[in-house]
Amino acid sequence: MRLHRTAWRWLIEKEARELLASRSWWVLLVAMGPLVGFAFIGSVRTYAEASGLNGTAAGVGEAFSPLIGIWAPTFSACELAAVFLLPFVAIRLVGGDRLSGALKLESQQSLPPAARVAAKAVVLLVGWFVASVPAAVAVVLWRSYGGSIYGPEVVAVASGHVMNAGLTIALAAATASMTEHPSTAAILTLSVTVGTWILSFIAGVHGGIWERLARYTPTAMVGEFQHGLIRLDVVLASLTLIAVGLGLAAIWIRLGVPVARRVGESLTIAAAAAIVLATGAASTTSWDLSESRANSFPLADERALEAIREPLSIEVHLAPEDPRRVDFDRNVIAKLRRVRPDIHVRYLSATSIGLFEQTSAGYGEIWYDVGGRKAVGRAVTAEAALETVYSLAGVTTSPADDDDVFRGHPLVTRAPGAALTFYVIWPALVVSAAVRARG
Amino acid sequence: MTKRYGQLTALNDVGFSIRPGEILGLIGPNGSGKTTLFECMAGVLAPTAGCLLFQGGPLSPHSRRRTLFYLPDAVTPWPAQTVRWALDFAIGFLGGRRDRLDAVIERLALAPLLASAIGALSKGQRKRVLLAIGLLTAQPLLLADEPFEGLDLRQSRDVAAALRDHAAGGRTLFLSIHQIVDAARICDRFVLLSGGKVCGEGTLAELTELARAANAATAGNLEEVFLALT
Repeated sequence: MRLHRTAWRWLIEKEARELLASRSWWVLLVAMGPLVGFAFIGSVRTYAEASGLNGTAAGVGEAFSPLIGIWAPTFSACELAAVFLLPFVAIRLVGGDRLSGALKLESQQSLPPAARVAAKAVVLLVGWFVASVPAAVAVVLWRSYGGSIYGPEVVAVASGHVMNAGLTIALAAATASMTEHPSTAAILTLSVTVGTWILSFIAGVHGGIWERLARYTPTAMVGEFQHGLIRLDVVLASLTLIAVGLGLAAIWIRLGVPVARRVGESLTIAAAAAIVLATGAASTTSWDLSESRANSFPLADERALEAIREPLSIEVHLAPEDPRRVDFDRNVIAKLRRVRPDIHVRYLSATSIGLFEQTSAGYGEIWYDVGGRKAVGRAVTAEAALETVYSLAGVTTSPADDDDVFRGHPLVTRAPGAALTFYVIWPALVVSAAVRARG
Repeated sequence: MTKRYGQLTALNDVGFSIRPGEILGLIGPNGSGKTTLFECMAGVLAPTAGCLLFQGGPLSPHSRRRTLFYLPDAVTPWPAQTVRWALDFAIGFLGGRRDRLDAVIERLALAPLLASAIGALSKGQRKRVLLAIGLLTAQPLLLADEPFEGLDLRQSRDVAAALRDHAAGGRTLFLSIHQIVDAARICDRFVLLSGGKVCGEGTLAELTELARAANAATAGNLEEVFLALT
């Protein structure tokens, strides 16, 4: 046990040294400054332009939510880096041992392969945190401008990107362990990423099961975190996929094990993961961490909806790509599901875009059914939907308290010092650190 | 031990014995299966059939890690790290013996290289670093694949002497060597491998007898015995 602890420390040190010696990690570090800076400066400018036009009345507050206006675009630089730069860092760290022959020496130590993969994952995650420092600097700068910071929102967005980085690391570790050469691993990793984009595209066109699957792609997952929404099923799915990726890496990084046995173990892991994913998908728990409650109805409406004991179902006659359906999903269905997880929603359309169905009888209709009582409407706003549901349920609600309305935090600033920080100081610091570290 | 790659048989029912404290040389032409045999023994490759027996019983993977250490050929581990760090890593991570460190550095003339990155070393220097790692490890049996590869004449003699001294300390060495001259200089016994089969096993005298029994005229040197038996 003591030997293992010592070996583990040596392994962590070795992986850290290999990361510091990795050119790809330093490139990631340098790139993060301009990437974050460009996104931050652009979003601050847009935010300022909108703030300068006034408009802080109820209903437009969301436009002045730092979550949507600043954090989502600024941190999206991390998503870009996680997709296009981080895989190479991870593949280099995992696949480098095989390429150099170090794996043949290290695998003779009795430390389990899972521990070896875990050491790499831990170091890569720490490396990712260091690479995310520019995003943290953006938060500090925003604060220095007098901008509002709502902690849970920033935590939600940052958590989404950490989760996304974890997925990338796990995927890259798996492909690097399963292939002989890093270039093959890179192609495989990017293929999986492109595959998730294709899945999202198919979901947008065909809806149905594809739509449900697409909710668990990294892009969709990050998108929800960026809106301040944390869904338990998405978190469970992400953690499961991370575990699967690292598990596959641990299986395939071993030397001297017949391929048939490794394939069998991989299939076992995949089957176990499928069970966990299917179980987790049934979870309806979620947390809205946005200051504006962007993912929730007003509290009074939530209480009223919870008080309705009768089953609630909605039939939507809109095609998957119809913008009205997108609005209805975002403004009504997603919020309704958080209050009434038992809601049954059915989508009906003859085509994917709906363009040629506009004249069809019934297209655009939304049927509400509360305990067998039905009503139809065409509006896709939350107010219209709630009014219909309340009238069917015979519920009256008190008018919304004006104080509850989120009015936003407008701020007019030109982001002083940001360009210097992200385009000059950060790259210079990274380059000088790289020169010192790599000799 | 047998190892097949599809239709190709790399090792065909290979069997021999290793005695404690000896230097056993595995001799064979290129492609004879020397590296495959070492990798199967070390657990780097999965043999198609067969196993290692140690003191009469089969060697489990866990026991194997405590019994033998395999030093592969043509690898450049941790190329960005210094020689000094690699030796410390061999002690800390691979369970090497710190009490041997100074002697190994001196014997393999590594002192001037300690601060150099492994990736920046010449082939011969890298080989000496790898040998140092092997000599630091604590397992009773050391398998070294081509320990003289890339070394010049003087270095070969020095390394041979170092390996001799190391074996004299009680460690068993099993060396894969394709240069007959090097093998003759250092090994106590030999295993001749050709086409994935063992063609002979024993001391030079025993192998000479074997060659004569096969009606081959030999002058009693390893080169001729090797040619006669393979």
